[in-house]
Amino acid sequence: MRTTRRSVLGAGVAGTAILAAPAVWPARAQPSAKGTVRAVMHGDVPTFDPIWTTANMAAYHGNMVYDTLFGIDDQVRPQPQMVGRHGLSDDQLTFTMELRDGLKWSDGTDVTARDCVASLRRWAARDGAGQHMMERVADISARDARTIVIKLKEPYGLITDAMAKTSTPICFMMREKEAMTDPMQKIETIVGSGPFLFNERETRPGSQYVYDRNPNYRPRSEPPSWIAGGKVVHVERVIFQNMPDVQTAIAALQAGEVDYVEQPPIDTVPALEADPDIALQDRNPLGNVGWIRLNFLHPPFNNVKARQAVLWAVDQEAHLKATFVDRRFYQPCGSFLTCGTPYESDANTEWFKRGPDRAKARQLLQESGYKGEPVTLLQATNILYMTNAAQILAQELRAIGMNIQMVPMDWSGVVQRRAVKAPPDQGGWNIFITSADGLSSSNPIWAAAHAATGERGWFGWPSDELHERLRDEWVKAPDLETRQKVTHRLQENAWNFVPHVYYGQWRTPVAHRKNVTGWINSPGVVPFWNVKKA
Amino acid sequence: MIAYIIRRLLATIPVMLLVAVIVFLLVHLAPGDPASVIAGDNATSDQIAAIRATLGLDRPLWEQFAIWIWRVLQGDLGQSLFWNRGVAELILQRAEPTVSLAITTLIFAVSIAIGLGVLAAWKAGSGIDRSVMGLAVAGFSVPVFVVGYLLVYLFAIELRWLPVQGYRPIAQGFWPWLERLILPSVALGLAYLALIARITRTTMLEILSEDYIRTAQAKGVATRPMLFRHALKNAAVPIVTVVGIGVALLISGVVITETVFNIPGIGRLVVDAITRRDYPIIQGVMLVFSAIYVLVNLAVDLSYTLFDPRVRY
Amino acid sequence: MTTAAAIAQPPVPIRGGLARFARRNPTIVIGGAMLLLMVCIAVLAPWISGDPFTVSPADRLRPPSFSDFFASGKIDRFGTDNLGRDIFARTVHGTRISLMVGISVALLATLIGLGIGLVAGYFRLVDAIVMRVMDALMAIPSILLAIALVALTGGGIAIVIAAITVPDIPRVVRLVRSVVLTVRERPYIDAAVSVGSPSRKIILRHILPSTIGPLIVQATYICASAILVEAGLSFLGAGVPPEIPTWGNMIAQSRLFLARAPWTIFAPGICLALVVLSINLLGDGLRDRLDPRLARRM
Repeated sequence: MRTTRRSVLGAGVAGTAILAAPAVWPARAQPSAKGTVRAVMHGDVPTFDPIWTTANMAAYHGNMVYDTLFGIDDQVRPQPQMVGRHGLSDDQLTFTMELRDGLKWSDGTDVTARDCVASLRRWAARDGAGQHMMERVADISARDARTIVIKLKEPYGLITDAMAKTSTPICFMMREKEAMTDPMQKIETIVGSGPFLFNERETRPGSQYVYDRNPNYRPRSEPPSWIAGGKVVHVERVIFQNMPDVQTAIAALQAGEVDYVEQPPIDTVPALEADPDIALQDRNPLGNVGWIRLNFLHPPFNNVKARQAVLWAVDQEAHLKATFVDRRFYQPCGSFLTCGTPYESDANTEWFKRGPDRAKARQLLQESGYKGEPVTLLQATNILYMTNAAQILAQELRAIGMNIQMVPMDWSGVVQRRAVKAPPDQGGWNIFITSADGLSSSNPIWAAAHAATGERGWFGWPSDELHERLRDEWVKAPDLETRQKVTHRLQENAWNFVPHVYYGQWRTPVAHRKNVTGWINSPGVVPFWNVKKA
Repeated sequence: MIAYIIRRLLATIPVMLLVAVIVFLLVHLAPGDPASVIAGDNATSDQIAAIRATLGLDRPLWEQFAIWIWRVLQGDLGQSLFWNRGVAELILQRAEPTVSLAITTLIFAVSIAIGLGVLAAWKAGSGIDRSVMGLAVAGFSVPVFVVGYLLVYLFAIELRWLPVQGYRPIAQGFWPWLERLILPSVALGLAYLALIARITRTTMLEILSEDYIRTAQAKGVATRPMLFRHALKNAAVPIVTVVGIGVALLISGVVITETVFNIPGIGRLVVDAITRRDYPIIQGVMLVFSAIYVLVNLAVDLSYTLFDPRVRY
Repeated sequence: MTTAAAIAQPPVPIRGGLARFARRNPTIVIGGAMLLLMVCIAVLAPWISGDPFTVSPADRLRPPSFSDFFASGKIDRFGTDNLGRDIFARTVHGTRISLMVGISVALLATLIGLGIGLVAGYFRLVDAIVMRVMDALMAIPSILLAIALVALTGGGIAIVIAAITVPDIPRVVRLVRSVVLTVRERPYIDAAVSVGSPSRKIILRHILPSTIGPLIVQATYICASAILVEAGLSFLGAGVPPEIPTWGNMIAQSRLFLARAPWTIFAPGICLALVVLSINLLGDGLRDRLDPRLARRM
């Protein structure tokens, strides 16, 4: 009996030995392969056409494989990228660009002006800044294989700014063959002239996206700055890893299984700072701006007093602290255009300096004639900062007497429902929460959401004639000083009619392994040129 | 036997058709619109409508269903709305990690569970029995992701014995493949292990009390052969049944485990597709999972003949 | 062998006092007592704890302090979560929601399943159709069905409960149907049919009672698994709205702070494990008493 017992035990415990076995394995320290940078981005690449969608991750993908005619530098000035000589005619109505030497598509053919003309057209059909430009453009054409000519109806100072910008959709150059695709259809073939080649064979959509160094890419000679300057690639391969669980991504970074995490939650920052192998870097000084959109089409926010009530009720500090934790990474901001830009202003910001003022907000709400009707707040539950902002906002508005009804859904649901113009009880909404990057938020023309053109405009459909006149003046302003003066008036008016409300401005640092250096800061996209791996 | 298999296979056709209808309706009747997800943040309502039209989402529902089901019957699961890839190709790309995880989990859970179950039955009423069964109930009672995080924290971050996450194809070597599957398999396998251990124990108890075992014992057959050759073999039918039922449990667990351990499997594919409303992927994966479930249970039924000669079809 | 005696323990009528009952049915008593305690906490939640909803970012992630446990308005007994909410209050209120989810799912699934199962088992014609539908529902992976239901129709407790209930129904239907099929072959049913009793009466009076034992057992397991599934759905971001305190929500939210604020997971994690454990124990005990045949098979 005794012997058999031992053997039965042995059989039963044999499996358990799998559990005990790790004790004899050596401690592991396996860095990822030399020359391969593994990066965890904030999301998944939803589709490979960065013109068709404005999703940020599609722009990240585009930034690897495509190049741009101009690129914005860290002084927020457009600089030539694919373009060599360029200039405006004396009557300011003809803009000419000549492509620089050595530009080749990944299929080996030369980049031609015809390709760029088609790409510009397709981009302009989908982009707010592009549409704004095209309204003033008489024609875009290719004079010869290397020269692109833009003929204007009236002088327009933002051509290069529009082509250089880093907010989506970015003005990427594609072959004519792809660029002739209907802007509403997505392109199927990925052929770019950028610093990396898309490795379709090793890419696993939804899991990993592989980019190899483009050996035929000829970078400019200037030092890199944002997306301007020389795009010199020092690594053989970059892999975007899609990790849905950010906790797993942080653990993988600490274990050296990945090299870069784009958006570590601020709560993990202390642990990452304490790790000798990990460095944090402030990538984008302008950060992001949190937007609260109010629906102008339906009560209560068709009344200006109710909107002002929200302005006085929101405590930016509470919103920011909840998600961004550390004062180093956030700042309350009362400026209508992003703080930290030349357009920061304190015009008409009594609500910011003296607020939040609950009593005042409550009074404004009463003056609006609000009688306790339900107010529908869309809450995106799968994005942490949005969920938090919605919960805090609900509490703030309930405190001033608003009958808030939270409607939880995932972000896809919000994106769909915010487009519904019907009343809230028929599938519409009153409030939703989003954010925009600080750079695009600072430009009243490019951010579609800054328009106040009523139902033709962006979700929330604010409407204000003076606002529109001032936006027009803003574009036409000949110099920065005049533009700042217009900005001042724009803001004064905006905080009276309240097209939307902000819940603050924040920056998320990036975390990377210390042996991977040379990261370039840029808003909008993450450049992988200049990055070295030791 | 052959006739029986054919009859069973035919019987799955209406079931799979119903699955197709349920899945299609579920996906299409729900709010949420891939076109507005694709269009992104700066799009206006007109642009969204244009995209919807190019995706064919503006057609009547029955027409969309007819087109989809006709293609499925021809073996074409359609194209992802977002990536330029076929759904079948995407599923195949993701199949290896999921199948690997399922197999290692099964091996881990079944081998230990049967051992523990037999042990508990043999020592029924003893302290060993109680602690084994206590562990089994506890195994049911903790969420998979909590177990997962604890394992990662302990074995991957503190002790650094195993990787935190990821998957390597088995073509890149057995050990790199296995080391990334150990923690997920344990996390996923615990509930499964608990289930099978309990079944094994009760079935064994029942059989051990039957006459022929007592006879065998009286005739002096040693304990081990008695437990394994006679008793366990007769206990196989209910155990295999539970293994079959457990496939559903396994599929559910795979979805969560793949997220915790960043395994690029089919579960992740479908969860991502749901948040993005990539209808063809959601429909395709649900169909494939349902087919697997149906087929596994068919296989389980057929395996009865192997374990129990009295069962004839 | 002593084992035979151990399992062949016959169900004893409740006689001879609680002590004897407890000795004979330890799992029922332990599981039941633990569950009763949790139910008491759930019922008394508003009186024994503070406000679980108020967000206070300035107080976020405070560690627990036990210096003055019973002081009213004290929010750091169990510490605070990432929005500065009182974890003690959330855990106590979470008991309510989590138990409600578990019990509602168990009740709904068994009642609906019972209805469908009785009809399907008794009427041959309905049976063929209903069982194909049930097979189809069973074949669709339950968690995917639930995620899809919640994600696609928007959150809310009612939808989460429905999403967890639907995949459980076919299992109940199958159980009820199998009982009905066995019972309806019995002579006394034939007798009832031959004297012209209406089907409804036969089903309700003669068949229904035999399903109750196995159903109660099944309901306990459904209840336990529903609480776990709710936690899993929250983990995948498809659960009850995040401001509503459920243990699943709390655990899912705490995972970002595990290293920095491990206390955020302790209270909900332990409560969840305890309740599921106690319901499972209760289920095991009831099974042994109510359904010895099932006990031997399960």
